[in-house]
Amino acid sequence: MRMILAVMYREYRMRTTSMTWLFYDLFMPLTYLLLFGIGLDRAFSGGIALQGGTVSYNAFFLAGVLSMASFGIAINTSYGFFVDRENGIFYEFLTYPMTRSQFLIGKILFNCILSLIQATITVSLGVALLDIPVRWARMGALAPGIIIGTAGWFFFLTSFALRIRRNDMFNTFINVAYFMLMFASSMFYPVEALPPWLAAIARLNPLTWHTDVLRYATIGLGADQSVLLEALAFVLFLFLSFLAAVWTLRRGVLR
Amino acid sequence: MNRSTPAIDVRDLVKLYRRKSGHSVRALDGLSLRVEQGEIFGLLGRNGAGKTTLLRILTTLIHPTAGSASVMGLDVVEHPYEVRKRICTVLQENAVELYLSVADNLATYGRFQSIPPRDIKQQVARVLEQFELDEYRNQKVIDLSGGLKRRVQVSKVFMVNRPVIFLDEATTGMDPINKRATIEAIRNQARLGRTIFLTTHILQEAEELCDTITIIDHGRTVAQGNLQTIKSLSSRAFDMSITFDELTDVILHDLEQLPLLKLTHKHHTAEICVKGSELSALSILKTLAERYTILHFEVGRATLEEVFLEILGQDDGEEIPP
Repeated sequence: MRMILAVMYREYRMRTTSMTWLFYDLFMPLTYLLLFGIGLDRAFSGGIALQGGTVSYNAFFLAGVLSMASFGIAINTSYGFFVDRENGIFYEFLTYPMTRSQFLIGKILFNCILSLIQATITVSLGVALLDIPVRWARMGALAPGIIIGTAGWFFFLTSFALRIRRNDMFNTFINVAYFMLMFASSMFYPVEALPPWLAAIARLNPLTWHTDVLRYATIGLGADQSVLLEALAFVLFLFLSFLAAVWTLRRGVLR
Repeated sequence: MNRSTPAIDVRDLVKLYRRKSGHSVRALDGLSLRVEQGEIFGLLGRNGAGKTTLLRILTTLIHPTAGSASVMGLDVVEHPYEVRKRICTVLQENAVELYLSVADNLATYGRFQSIPPRDIKQQVARVLEQFELDEYRNQKVIDLSGGLKRRVQVSKVFMVNRPVIFLDEATTGMDPINKRATIEAIRNQARLGRTIFLTTHILQEAEELCDTITIIDHGRTVAQGNLQTIKSLSSRAFDMSITFDELTDVILHDLEQLPLLKLTHKHHTAEICVKGSELSALSILKTLAERYTILHFEVGRATLEEVFLEILGQDDGEEIPP
């Protein structure tokens, strides 16, 4: 535990060296919701028809913004491997008295806390400024949804960040992966509204699973059973990504 | 830990790097060595000889292809976590937190090394003073010169008391005063019973510091032992300093014809390093004395650098990428 705390402390010190960075991390999703969300809310003033009723676009998009924010923090954290490699300190870390798992868990735990603060700000101000009708009774699922989501995406990206040596290559990879995952998911629109081929792809996309869980936790949309299935699928995705990340750290960093 | 257990024990170590082209590069080729506890050990070799590869294996960064290596009796492949609890490392690359202050760099390192938070402040103050970094304590490392960055990196390992310290080209980039302070700090640590594993290109530093030395080339040991043994392993080399009444071009031409490892001259003094027995060194001196007027001469054992050049200077091996 001491080692995990040491990694968390280091992440905290690094993040707080730049207030701009911290501000961006905490308030960017809200800005996204206020600008992009409001614009689309006006464009779809009749709301989005779902499960026999309609919800405003702002309400629908809240979960999309939260999953996007988790993904964003995971990208920033995995990008940290490049910064550490450039500073030369990455390999020194690997000689410190800690296991590879402790290193990865410590790195993401601090950022999960950041994600939770970010989600609290986004949901609170979303409710206060945009009248988003959240279902407080289901809010208990939000914190695990945010933590598991952020960690899952971080572990997923870690294997690539460790294997790809070039910064520009990783940027390209992130852009392509993010673009594909984001638009073939339920982040911006309901999967039911997509053409069958795209809907099929979206249903296999972990970003859809994550977004659907967060939508269930915030505005209560989705059937209990299907959301539970998606949550379990995402936990499996997290577990496999974690194993791959640890394996890469053990064997694939320097060969 | 039993004192008779070697601090580092390497047996028949092989490391192959597989290239995308399909062929393999043999960075270590059956290397064996043993470092006793409390020793200052120097690993020498030209670029690409396998020094960094060996260091990476011993610090658990990579796995060997074959053979075994242990630190304080613990196999580096079987018990990497336990090994990491017993070592601290200064790698060749600059490894500092650029956006943290000097004091925060040390404090963060202390946490990773399990120093209790209440003791960290005290340890940071001690190390800052020891390495004359106090005036920079609140400066971000990114704003420091290269030499100071290196000093911050090296000073970190003196925060903790691990049995084995690995130093890869630790004094590179430091000015002579800091280099001297670092060498002194290393000596003090060895006196306290810590084992120092040092790789360096600065042979004078190795000569000054190390109890035992191993010279490797192409991933194999070519010489091993204490300084005297290493020197005697070479086909004997002697340093001679000869002052003539006048050092003419004719004398220099004559000297150039001799089988020398080194020839330099200043004013009327020629500094040469002779390869051969003591007799051949004296014979050269006698020949020169018969032909020219010698005002003064000194004969001494060759430096480690000359022995190193003699042992390794014969062939140009394939460079192995770091």
